[in-house]
Formats: sequence, C-alpha cells, structure tokens
Amino acid sequence: MRYDHITDAIGDTPLVRIDPEVHGLRHIDLYAKLEMLNPFGSVKDRAAWRMAQPHLEEARRRGRTVVELSSGNTAKALAVIAGMHGLPFRSVTNRMKVPEIKDLLLLLGAEIEELPGQAECLDPTATEDPLTRIHRMLTEDDDAYLHTDQYYNPANAEAHSGGTGPEIIKDLGGVAPDFFVACVGTAGSSTGAARALRAHDPAVSVIGLVAQKGDFVPGIRNIDEVHEVGLFDPRTYDALEAVSADEAIDGMLTLVRRCGILGGPTGGAAYHGALRYLRQRDAEQAGGGDGRRRTAVFIVCDRVESYMSYVRTRRPELLRRPPRPNSPASVTPRELAEVHVIGVEEARAWIATERPVVVDLRGAFAFAALHIEGSINIVDELFEELLHGGLPFGRSQPVLLVCPVGEQSVTYAALLARMGHRDVRSLAGGVIAWRDADAPMVRD
Amino acid sequence: MSEPLYLAPRLESRPAALLDSPAFLHPLVAALGSPLNLLLPDQIADNVRAFREVYARHRLTGRICYAHKANRSSALVRRLAATGPGTGIDVASLGELQHALAGGLTPDRIVATGPKDPDFLWLAARTGVTVAVDSPGELTALAALVERFRLPRVPILPRLSEFASTGTRVLTRRSRFGTPATEADALLDLVEKHRDAVEFTGVSYHLDTMAPTEKAAALDGCLRVLDESRRRGLRPRAVDIGGGFGTDYLADGAQWERYTTELTRALLGRRAPLTWEGHGYGLRGENGTLRGALGVYPGHRPVAGPRYLDELLAQTAPSLGRPLATLLLENLYDLHTEPGRALTDQCGITLARVLEVRVTAAGERLVRLAANARDIGLEDHGLLVDPVLVPAGATAREPGGDSPVGVYLLGNLCLESDLISRRLVFLPREPRAGDLLAFANTAGYFMDFTADHALHQPVARKVAVYRDGDAGPWHWCLDEEYWPHLTAGDDE
Repeated sequence: MRYDHITDAIGDTPLVRIDPEVHGLRHIDLYAKLEMLNPFGSVKDRAAWRMAQPHLEEARRRGRTVVELSSGNTAKALAVIAGMHGLPFRSVTNRMKVPEIKDLLLLLGAEIEELPGQAECLDPTATEDPLTRIHRMLTEDDDAYLHTDQYYNPANAEAHSGGTGPEIIKDLGGVAPDFFVACVGTAGSSTGAARALRAHDPAVSVIGLVAQKGDFVPGIRNIDEVHEVGLFDPRTYDALEAVSADEAIDGMLTLVRRCGILGGPTGGAAYHGALRYLRQRDAEQAGGGDGRRRTAVFIVCDRVESYMSYVRTRRPELLRRPPRPNSPASVTPRELAEVHVIGVEEARAWIATERPVVVDLRGAFAFAALHIEGSINIVDELFEELLHGGLPFGRSQPVLLVCPVGEQSVTYAALLARMGHRDVRSLAGGVIAWRDADAPMVRD
Repeated sequence: MSEPLYLAPRLESRPAALLDSPAFLHPLVAALGSPLNLLLPDQIADNVRAFREVYARHRLTGRICYAHKANRSSALVRRLAATGPGTGIDVASLGELQHALAGGLTPDRIVATGPKDPDFLWLAARTGVTVAVDSPGELTALAALVERFRLPRVPILPRLSEFASTGTRVLTRRSRFGTPATEADALLDLVEKHRDAVEFTGVSYHLDTMAPTEKAAALDGCLRVLDESRRRGLRPRAVDIGGGFGTDYLADGAQWERYTTELTRALLGRRAPLTWEGHGYGLRGENGTLRGALGVYPGHRPVAGPRYLDELLAQTAPSLGRPLATLLLENLYDLHTEPGRALTDQCGITLARVLEVRVTAAGERLVRLAANARDIGLEDHGLLVDPVLVPAGATAREPGGDSPVGVYLLGNLCLESDLISRRLVFLPREPRAGDLLAFANTAGYFMDFTADHALHQPVARKVAVYRDGDAGPWHWCLDEEYWPHLTAGDDE
C-alpha cells in the first residue's frame, strides 16, 4: 500500500468478525467495521475530508478559518486537514468533556472556544442561546470562515453512502447485512450507510443507539438531543435504543480484552447495544426461524487511548495498580498516635537549638508566598513519590514536618518513623497555627 | 388523558410534615388570605450545617453568607443571626443592610455587594461592614467618604471578573459587575494609595454560571491577585466566591428525564401539547428538527448546594495545578461562600387557594388561583415543578373527580400573560374550589422577588412556622414577629 497523501488512507477500513465464543449468538454472524483504523483515528475522518476537501483551495486563497461545532473526532480530523493545507482551525463547543481530546486538539494547533455554562439565574428576556449566536457570527462574516456544519451538511452522510456502506457490502461478498448498528452523534454514519445498504437490500434493519439521558457517552447524543441534528430522521431507524455509560465501558472491555479491538467507549456502546438487540433476534431464530444465518455489522468509531480519564472517573478499579511500599495510606492509627507532635512554641525553641530540617509539604505557590524561615519545600505529591524509594535524609538528621493544618505532616511523620527515622516531629496545627500564633514567616 | 407526567417536588422531612398537616394550613389561609408564604426558619440553620460539613471535610474556615435578595423574610435573617459567627449575609441595598443590622447580624458578618448608591455606601462605611468593591471608581468614592467623615478603615473585598483561561478559550458570559482581573494591578495601586481608608481583606468573584471549570479558573485568578497583593505587603485573609451552587428541586430524576423528552416530542408535533399555546421554553420545532435551547432551570440537579461546593473545591486549579481546597488551605486563606438559593433550600412554601375550575370548549381544564405569577415566580426562573394538592377537609366526592388530570394554572390578574405555569400541570385529581395548592421550596427567589400590588391585589402575607422537636405541634407567627429565642438551640 503506497499513498501520496495521508488523506488517501481514509476509508477502506477492515471488517472483522467477532468470535462467536465472545458474543454467544448462535444464528447471527457479527462483524465490527473498524473505523478506528482511519488515519486520524475515527469514523469522522471520512466526513471531515468529504466536507472540507472541495473547499480547501478557495479557503486557502481567501485566508479562511475552518470552523466546526465539534467536541471531538470531527474537530480532530478537521484540525489535521486544515493544518496540512495551511488553514487555521477553530472548534466551538460546550460538550468537550474528555480532557485528552482537548489537549490533543491544542497539540494539533486548533483553537478551542468553550461556550459558557448554563446561567444559574435564568434571564427570561434572553432571546438566543450561545449556539444561535455562533451561527449568526458565521453568517455575518461568511467570507472569513469555512463552516463545515457537520450536523446539517449532506456531505457528512454522503461520505458514508459512498464509502462505508458499499465497503460493507463488498466485504460481505456482495450482500448487505441483515442488521446494521450505529451510534447516533451527527447521524452521518448511520444515515449514510443505511441509505447505501437499503439501496442494495431494502430489508436491512437499522438500529440507532443513543446515550441514556443524564449519562455521557462520548460522541453520542441522547434521545432528545438527536432531534437537534439536521441530518437526523427518525424514519431511518427500525429501532432507537439507549445505552448507558456503564454499558459502553462494559462493551469496550469486551472489545479490548477479548477481541483485540482497541476501540473506545463509543465502539463499546455499539457492541453492547448491538448484542442486546441481536440476542432477541437470535432467540426468535432459535424458536422456529427459517434456518438461514443472519449477519450483523456494528461500527467501532474510534480508539481507546483518548478515554483513560473517562474510564478513571467512572471505573477507577479498572486501572488498578499494585500497592506501593511506604504509602501514607498504609499508616495505622497506632502509628499515628505515636508520632511526636509539637506545638508552635516548642517548635520554635527546637529549631533554634537543634536546627532540624524543616520540610514544608505545601504547594510551591503557597510556599513561595510565605513560609517558616530556613524551611525547604517538598510538595506532598513529590514527598510521597520520594518515600516509595526510601528515606530522603539520614536516620538521625532531625526533621520537622509542616503542612497546612498538621494532618498530612502527622501521617508522613508516622511513615518516616516506621521507615526507621529516629527524630521526626510534626507541627501541631500546621502553618495555620504558626500564623495564628504570630510566629514569623518570610517571603524570600 | 394520556399518562400523567408528574414533576414531584423534592421535600425534606420538615416541609413534608408541614404539607401533611391540612388541619393546620387551611385555617391559616382562611385567617391570613391567599396567597400565603410560609417560612421554616429552622431549616436555614440545618442548611448552614450541611455547608459547614463540607468546610470541615476540606479543613477550611471562613464565612457562609446568605444572599439577602433571595427573600425579604425577617425570620430567615434573624434565625441566621442566631447560627453563630461563622455565618454572614450579603446585602445589595440600603434597605437590606438596615434589615440585616436590625435582625441581629453584627457588621463583621455583613458584606455589601452589588451596585451601591451613596446612602448605601455611607451606612456601610459608618457601620464598618465589609464592602465588596465593584470598581476602582467605587473604591475611590468609599475612600473619600471615610476621609470626609473621619471613619475607621473599612474592610474591602474587591470583586474581580473576566478571568483568563488557559489552554482552551472559555467564552464566559460577560458581567456588568466587578473589575477585570487583567486590571488588578491598577486596583491594587489604588488600594495602596488609600491604605488609611480601606483595609484590603481579600478578593471576591461572583459568576452566574453552573460550570465548575469557569469557577475554578476564577478562583485560580483570585489566588494570583492575592499573591501579588502579598508581594506588595498587603495582608489578605480570604477569597469570597459566589453564584450558581444550585438547588435540586425535583424528587425523581426519571420524572424529569421523561418529562423533558415528552416536551421535546410535543414541540415536534409527535404528541399532544404540554404547554399553553405550544410555548417551547426556548425550543421550537422546524421541519422536524429541534432549534433553540431549552431555557429552563435544570430541575433535577443531584450535584447542588453543599455537594456542588465539595466538587468545586476538589477541582484542580487550571494554572496552579493543585486542588482548589488545598491551595486555599496552603495559602492560609479563609473561604467565604455565597451559596445563594442553596441556603434557602426547603425553607419556604407558598400556598394558594383554588377559586374556580373551568373546562374550555377544547377540553382544557383551567384552574384559577387566588395568587398570580408575581407571587409565585416559577415561570420567571424557568422552574418546572408541580404544586402539592392540600385538600379542603372531607368534601363530598364529585363525579369523575378522583383520577389524574392535566390542568393549566391561571393567576388572578386581568392579564392574558398571567399564568402561574405555562405548562400543563398534572395533579392526582381535579382540584376543587377551596382546596389549596402548595408550591414547595419557594423561599429562594420564587416567593417575593417579583411580588407587587398590581391591580390592587394584596401581596402575600408571611408567617414563620416552627415546631418543638421533630414531632411536636406546629406553631406560627407573623414573619416580623419571629425571633430566634422561639426555636433556636445551639447551632454551630
């Protein structure tokens, strides 16, 4: 495979069979269309290229900015395409909830504008929402922007009626699948692919998956939000079903752990939703169908790597790490009770006579502002990291630990004592007690 | 009628028990008229306690302030005064300042905010309350007053706005108030110039948004300004944050989700209308596509009030990189909060008597109440929540009267626009003349914020309601007759 441009690698993605041992369907063959293997990482590469490509030359001549209301994959693809063609790209959104995608977009050179959050005090006289305002900005100075308009642009669906759909038919040996399952975001892939599949065989069942209300699955709208999409037509779907974030992660786990398909939560939602729907069809088939095997295709729309924080907030246990030595969490109440805690007056006298190392565990910003004279700053996170490796000072070197209220310092003092340190003390009440006792602090 | 779409209010034990006492409520309305506002002063003390627990979890100290403008009640102010030195009040007018002082709040617990006229500024300076200075001009005016009348130094907490964001550009809604954070240097110059007149105690921000990211950026910006002030030798003690902690008004998230979905379907013409004349609350259907944005208060908001504060404090500061609570603590700052309506959560109920039920030719049921949309400001704030039916005694059963109905609630003004709700409100049965409808949780902004004497209709009277312990009989007195010795124990 040799290409002149990376954009030539968009499309022609593999159709991979899911092992029946994994999905357990007896009369249906299930295939994953791996849109995650598009060069910029998602199903949106097709639409982005199809929407932008015809206008790039003119946009460059006129110095236009590519603009899209996107929170993720479309923005990613457009940012790459715009960058390759020397155009600035701006994404306007209030839905960007995945921090990795935000960082990646900035890395790609995109400008991101986040719409403000909902007002606490509603203004009933406000006549327009932020999105309407953005649309007005785009139309008022039409010449400055190339607005790809994914939610209304027919080219979005055409990318799939001309690409994704026909590719599936070709890979299935010239037949359309009996079931086609896709998540609904812009409705581009489901609408476009459904059009091509039905043109080939009107009997194809199309299942659209939406996010459960009040739940967030990246790239999918919920049952109300889909109505805000110009490309969405409820008649496209034989069934519209909701998938929760939890189910999406379950589906994703099966794909990544058992199928070797490193897809993200949206692909997981498609797999989970597909299986839930197909199990019933499979059971009907078992109870007196015509004996013919059926085929089903679902879309894995992007890759797992960008969703680690999504997983971390929803299922932290999946990212478990082995326990590390000398962790503050392992300190026992008994060890805490044995710590040598001293008050401000005693601490001042001890500092004056024994000159202990005073370790301030607060953040660098706070330390720089005000601290006990002669103390050194080892931020708590860093100190914890250091202790995993052992004591950062000699066993008999006197140490006074200081934190904001004397809570962390007690814990770390207990830990140091357990590690064999002979003279560690903790400042009772912390820096706040120090300040309240009018003991001197410096900013140097 | 299709399935009723209820939006049942969230009721904690105290207001729930009160609504379960029709024999107490009916005579009260008979004596004092409809509408009638009930206030539960002991509830505000409970709410303060819930916020204090969040402070304790983060080891933070500082003042929890009630935004007076949420309600004109004296009982709430006086009950708050009895909760101890850790609570305070935000006043936004001369009248509110006088009311707070008269209600027992000492100047060290009062913050004057908002646009200030000279009278307001003078009394604030004279009594020594903290002034959340809105602009350099106001600071100059305040300093001039202090010098002219030889007053002691006035504590100030300048209000900042328009904080810079990092990474992505956050298009925060513009505010008419505060000094842009980029102009903080000039503001501090002014503070130093007027050192003898004003005492710089910290800075404040107040954002009208529910987005924690915007607030994290603001707090981060405040910490940077405070650091600069310390570099100049000033001694700031606190950051004051306000706006948008929110309240959870509905009992059941599933009801809210179902309702909003059905509203969307109704606007697209896929089901019978759910609103008067197809009102869309900001949404409209255009050729099968939904346009606009749903402009209503998110009625079901599980992360609201104390929990919202908890999550906000756990946010990482965008430029300083540590959790906000940790940064406040490490930098030795107090946190003052203005939880707004969240402090009045469950503190009030508005009662209205049913005057008439009418059925139009088209089959719509119209229920006219002895109250109007200014007395019960749900529509003004886009709050979608059902009233609770408090039946009038054991009335004889009327035919067809015991199954759920959808009704429109009309006010008592001679105005087409006077609908207490533009929604079709579902009730467990058709109300009858003499029944009461109780609007729950109205103490924060829905009770008297817009009430007036239009068309010579009386404004609702207010009574404070309290009981001994959790099960004793209910007592009441006029709001202005309430003093905390009637109920308050040790709160803080």
